[in-house]
Amino acid sequence: MRTLMIATLTACCACVAQVHAQVAPPTNVKTADAPNDVGNQVIVTWETSPDDVDGGVTSYVVVRSKVDTDESTPIDEGAIGDVPYGVTTFIDENATAGTTYWYGVRATGSAGESAIAQAEESVTPTMEMINAGKIWFLIIMVTISGVVILYVYHAKRGGNISVRKIAGLEAVSEAVGRATEMGREVLFVPGILDINDIQTVAGITVLSNVAKTAAEYDARLEVPTARSLVMTTARETVQAAYLGAGRPDAYDENRIYYLTDEQFGYTAGVQGKMVRDKPAACFYMGAFYAESLILAETGNSIGAIQVAGTAMPSQLPFFVAACDYTLIGEEFFAASAYLSDDPEQLGSLKGQDVGKVIAAGLLVLGCLLATLGAMTGSSGIDAASSYIKDNILGKAGVMPAMVLHIGQEDDTE
Amino acid sequence: MTALDPERIKVILATDCGSTTTKAILIQYVDGAYRQTHRGEAPTTVEKPFADVTMGVINSVTEIGELAGRKLVDDDGRIISPATDTEGCDIYISTSSAGGGLQMMVAGVIAEMTAASAKRAALGAGSIVMDVIAANDGRRPHEQIQRIRDLRPDMILLSGGTDGGTKDKVVQLAELIAPAKPQPRFGSDYEMPIIYAGNNEAQTDVSEVFAEGGFDLQIVDNLRPVLERENLGPARDKIHDIFLEHVMAQAPGYDKLMGWTGAPIMPTPGAVGDILQTVARIQGINVVGVDIGGATTDVFSVFDETFNRTVSANLGMSYSISNVCAEATMPNVLRWVPFNMNERELRNHVKNKMIRPTTIPQTREALMFEQAVAREALRLAYKQHKEFATTLKGVQQQRTVGDTFTQEAGGETIVNNMTLDLLVASGGVLSHAPRMHQTAMMLIDAFEPEGVTMLAKDSIFMMPHLGVLASVHPKAAEEVFDRDCLIYLGTCVAAAGNVKAGKPAFSWSFNGMSGEIAGGEMELVDLALGETAMITLTPVRGVDLGNGPGKKVEREIKGGTVGVIFDGRGRPLGLPEDRSSCQSTVQGWIDSCAMYREEEETAAAV
Repeated sequence: MRTLMIATLTACCACVAQVHAQVAPPTNVKTADAPNDVGNQVIVTWETSPDDVDGGVTSYVVVRSKVDTDESTPIDEGAIGDVPYGVTTFIDENATAGTTYWYGVRATGSAGESAIAQAEESVTPTMEMINAGKIWFLIIMVTISGVVILYVYHAKRGGNISVRKIAGLEAVSEAVGRATEMGREVLFVPGILDINDIQTVAGITVLSNVAKTAAEYDARLEVPTARSLVMTTARETVQAAYLGAGRPDAYDENRIYYLTDEQFGYTAGVQGKMVRDKPAACFYMGAFYAESLILAETGNSIGAIQVAGTAMPSQLPFFVAACDYTLIGEEFFAASAYLSDDPEQLGSLKGQDVGKVIAAGLLVLGCLLATLGAMTGSSGIDAASSYIKDNILGKAGVMPAMVLHIGQEDDTE
Repeated sequence: MTALDPERIKVILATDCGSTTTKAILIQYVDGAYRQTHRGEAPTTVEKPFADVTMGVINSVTEIGELAGRKLVDDDGRIISPATDTEGCDIYISTSSAGGGLQMMVAGVIAEMTAASAKRAALGAGSIVMDVIAANDGRRPHEQIQRIRDLRPDMILLSGGTDGGTKDKVVQLAELIAPAKPQPRFGSDYEMPIIYAGNNEAQTDVSEVFAEGGFDLQIVDNLRPVLERENLGPARDKIHDIFLEHVMAQAPGYDKLMGWTGAPIMPTPGAVGDILQTVARIQGINVVGVDIGGATTDVFSVFDETFNRTVSANLGMSYSISNVCAEATMPNVLRWVPFNMNERELRNHVKNKMIRPTTIPQTREALMFEQAVAREALRLAYKQHKEFATTLKGVQQQRTVGDTFTQEAGGETIVNNMTLDLLVASGGVLSHAPRMHQTAMMLIDAFEPEGVTMLAKDSIFMMPHLGVLASVHPKAAEEVFDRDCLIYLGTCVAAAGNVKAGKPAFSWSFNGMSGEIAGGEMELVDLALGETAMITLTPVRGVDLGNGPGKKVEREIKGGTVGVIFDGRGRPLGLPEDRSSCQSTVQGWIDSCAMYREEEETAAAV
């Protein structure tokens, strides 16, 4: 088969080789099935052409032919890619799992093209069921999932899962109470993005709690929205909250309305409402952009208690400075579990915290090792640092690179 | 009553008409200072068959007159005033808690805001708050009306809404009270006094609701004109006025007594609050006072000139002792007892105490158990007080970007044990403990003071008298309070922060003596009553004695009958879970502080 392949590739390029024989071909061409893939990759390696000095070679062209069955004649597929001079590896990412390929490499230079140097053996890429390079990812994922399940189980059995006090959520009753005492309304702004944004969903969760408190205190709640779907969702949520509080009669859907999709049109509308009606409590929960500071400063100027929550890092400083309480990123998403006291949500929250602790621990450890390695020049510390970077957080698998390297050397020997 | 020139007041007679005993004290200007010179007491005579409070007053005053060799009551049975060299007094003042004291119901729109302010006003005026009605108290209107009907308060304080705020909710509250027609405790022909201290724009509407009759509506300034500020003064003054005009006028003999006094009669707890405020203001200190009784425990605090009072209605040492054991749980009570006790015997002891309130412990074991209950009652009462004494809720916060990760909610407690300067105890179980060391330890275990704190007790419960005196002669009141009212037990130096058991917590030195306190240990060092010393305290890293973790403290301390108690147990105070190790730990503290040494010696001698 190999002879047949060489004959085919040689025939394909015969005329070129005969005309341009001034460049020496690369040598020792080898192929290997790429590990940890779905069977679509083949690694081709070679040694450079003796002419690959002083610009004698400009690139290497990789050619391929495939064999459909063991006995069939290889079908030439021509050049499938090239790499610049000096490079000795090419990864073919367009192979088909289970198909046998023959590869060849020729050098190209200013003096012409070399003959094709064929690989010694054919290669048949296969799909690996487990990506050994990401074993650590599997370990971490199983650990975190296990911890989440354990905490959910613990919470369901009545175990205590304490969540630190989130001042912004504790302040909901305070803000609604203020509005009630002052005889003014509660304004809830659910951001300017649609319901498909996770921040809007988180905002609606908080709205449910605000609406329940407003129903209990008999306070007026207004929700202007920038998206029609958000309005519909908010209406359903508020109605359910009023029903849950035993005050379905107090629910008025006209207080939850759509203004406009236009960012600053909406902002101007809400701002006008704030200046005219002077709500005593303003909630901003969702995704915000440039309008964040406009709304928060207006609310501050009318003396309202303001509670904001968003995961937009660029808007957080504005909310923190202008509002009484701000839910920052993760706090905002944790609100649902915090407010509901639901064991499944609390367990999941706690499990995610464990994941964050693991991630933070690895980052800190990696930084420390990298710093120590740079200061001391110790190869052991460097190896440990590389292990975290390449194996635990990368795709190098469980075995340290050093061991693999030694193993490869052993193989060579 | 005509105002007297304080400079001309040299002889002061004061009485406190309690439910069972009328206590009288005589204060005289001696050697350039006001001193309490004599005291006397007699049974209160407000109930039948006497039905005249002045009889008990005259009896107690006569006793003082005999002790002092000074004629204080004339032949017509009246107190002689003004004073001469040998007879009479310059001013007579009195407080009263007879007949259950002043009992009120308060109402406000939001329980944590205007209703809380109304409760503060009522408690500060010395009343017992029977219930708080609020729009968000979780009860349905018919339940609220039924509750109002069931109560028989002396008066009702109605608040709600800021000025210009909600009108509807306030009128709704009035509309709950009016049809309920609550009946006053005294007098069938007496109209229920209602003090309205809410939204000024709702005054007319509220007046219309109560116009149907049966109510005596009094309107004062809003006690929460804006949510950022309380204005409790007008409501408190009106409560005092109504207390005198309506409640006291209905009680037998009080009309006569009011004619004798040179200053308005005050409810006893209100007077205690006044003297503590006066002392805190004059000396510039933070004070906590406690009065533990048979049925209730009153806690007073003044932190940064903000006064708060709470009445824990179900925490007491006789009528309420069962409730203390139930609320604190028996294991928590028994953790303070260094030996095993039979649970059946304990339950019998508790129930006997409840049905025979005047019983006193006959054995050392019974005494230790009773003091263990007292610790838990005080701890629970102080916990309730901390939850009530908070910053105002519903107030706008001012933030900077620096507050990103340190946002605190409103309504945080203002009670800070580290800044507490003086802890004053009164009430039978504290005042009449066989050794003052026991009183001091009960205070430390229950209140867990941090840093340097003076401990004192009001042995003859003179604070009410001085509270009224403070309203006419603050200087005299403060002098007597400092010299005669308080018995200084000593100073407690307690470590807070990261205290590790068995490891050094802090070192101390004063008067040429020095020592080191380890985590979990206590030590008692003598410093006699009346002596002062400059103490130097050096905490280890992470331990706070008042100047921050690990920072040295130098300050003056006062001695007392107990001395200086060094407490290295850390805060919050934790006792071992295991019963036997808990017993040995507590026994160690008892030995360190010589709590029961005299009884042991006496028992050994017998």
